[in-house]
Amino acid sequence: MNCYHCGVRLTEENFCTNCGADVGTYKTIMMTANRFYNQALEKAKVRDLSGALICLRQCLKFNKAHVEARNLLGLVYFELGEVVAALSEWVISTNLRNRKNIAEDYIAMVQNNPSRLDTWNQAIKKYNQALLYCQQDSKDLAIIQLKSVVSMNPKYVRAHLLLGLLYLDAEDYTKAMKQLEKVLQIDHGNTQALLYMKEAEKILHPTDEDGVAKVKRKKKEDIVKYTIGNETIIQPAEFHEPHSVTGSAVIYMVMGLVIGVAISFFLILPARIQNAKADMTEQLKEVSEQLNVKSADMESLNQEMDSLKTLNEQLQSEVDKYVGTDGTLQTMDDLLNAVNTYINNPDDVTAVAEALEKLASEVDINGTSDAFQNVYNAMLAKVGPLVAEQYLEDGLQAYKDGNYSDAITNLEKAKIYDVENDNILYNLANAYRKNGDDANAALYFKEVVEKYPGTDRARKSQRALEELGVDTTEG
Amino acid sequence: MINFEEELKKFHPSMEVGEVETAIYNQDMTDMADLMVKIVKEAKQEEETTEEE
Repeated sequence: MNCYHCGVRLTEENFCTNCGADVGTYKTIMMTANRFYNQALEKAKVRDLSGALICLRQCLKFNKAHVEARNLLGLVYFELGEVVAALSEWVISTNLRNRKNIAEDYIAMVQNNPSRLDTWNQAIKKYNQALLYCQQDSKDLAIIQLKSVVSMNPKYVRAHLLLGLLYLDAEDYTKAMKQLEKVLQIDHGNTQALLYMKEAEKILHPTDEDGVAKVKRKKKEDIVKYTIGNETIIQPAEFHEPHSVTGSAVIYMVMGLVIGVAISFFLILPARIQNAKADMTEQLKEVSEQLNVKSADMESLNQEMDSLKTLNEQLQSEVDKYVGTDGTLQTMDDLLNAVNTYINNPDDVTAVAEALEKLASEVDINGTSDAFQNVYNAMLAKVGPLVAEQYLEDGLQAYKDGNYSDAITNLEKAKIYDVENDNILYNLANAYRKNGDDANAALYFKEVVEKYPGTDRARKSQRALEELGVDTTEG
Repeated sequence: MINFEEELKKFHPSMEVGEVETAIYNQDMTDMADLMVKIVKEAKQEEETTEEE
């Protein structure tokens, strides 16, 4: 202990041997501070943290520079879950003595684990929020918040106390007792917790006041006390809930189950069924759309198949026309027959002509192969003029006989074999005119006028056209 | 019987970790030794004043 005036170490005398200052009162103050510190230490050893807290505050009121008292006060705060208060005491302590001070280790211990510090801070924030909920009369929200707080920081005495108070207010005394017991496990001398617990026990055992005392005594006898390091742990050997409480708890549990099932049946199940229905509808819609697309595809494929069938039938019929009974092409046979007839009897032009006419009636000559057309044209060149002359003679004879129909038939055939013959054209036109077919007559008269201008037949054809009333100036 | 409203008044918001500095500055650091030294000083001054008179 040093003199408050000059700082010299004091002796047993009540005055300073250096400056002569009266230090009797000063010594008394310092000793009182030390006495409070010793008391706090004793209380802290038996986990009477509330008692220790009061003594340490008293100690520091007498001697603010009592480093050990400050360090212990920080520890007590820390044990009660008051991290901020603990840190502030340790920081002041390190400022008072910056060498060989265990407070530095405590601060480092807290600061070296930022995640835990953050968890504690979150717990503090939630506690403050819960307190606000309480003030706003939102007790259910406060309980939920405080449950979260005590799970984050199980040593947070204030949170346990407030939660206990809320359970008491909600007349849930069993839960309140559990919270208060947790408080007393941390701080055996917490008067607030003891007060709440007494109140709860009064409600649980309202008839027998002495019974409460008995229970208390029994509890005191049944405690287990042991020491771990510097801490003395006191906890009940076993805890039996009153029978009535157990019975009501079972009833509440059953009721809770029933309510839970009812909620799931009336609220959750319909929602899930609704969701399942919606999913099924969605799937059905998708399948329907796919089905429609497939149906459309199938329809188009069917149509395509029908058209292909029709085409196939047409082609088959055409092929049937060409193919004879022995499988060879009929047109080829006809051409060969015509050639064979000409080779055997070149003078019988009528037979060759008939064969060629039959061929022309069965097939489009222009659509046949080059080789086929070459042979056909060669045959036509060989027999054409002769056949044309033959048909012309027959036609003229029929014309003279007044048989205009036969005349037209023969002259038409003659025209096929000799298209450049004006005699055939002119007589064909006259035959049509005589037969009463003025339209065809005019057609052939015109052809004569156009193809053979200046000839005698052209002039006669012109007159005939005029007689028929056809305007020859038209394009 | 516990009055909830009255008991609730005993609970105060806790300081958050970010408020440590504020907590330190707000501490009342005056102790009995400070008061005693002040009283002794005042007594001495009074004594000196009386002697001068």
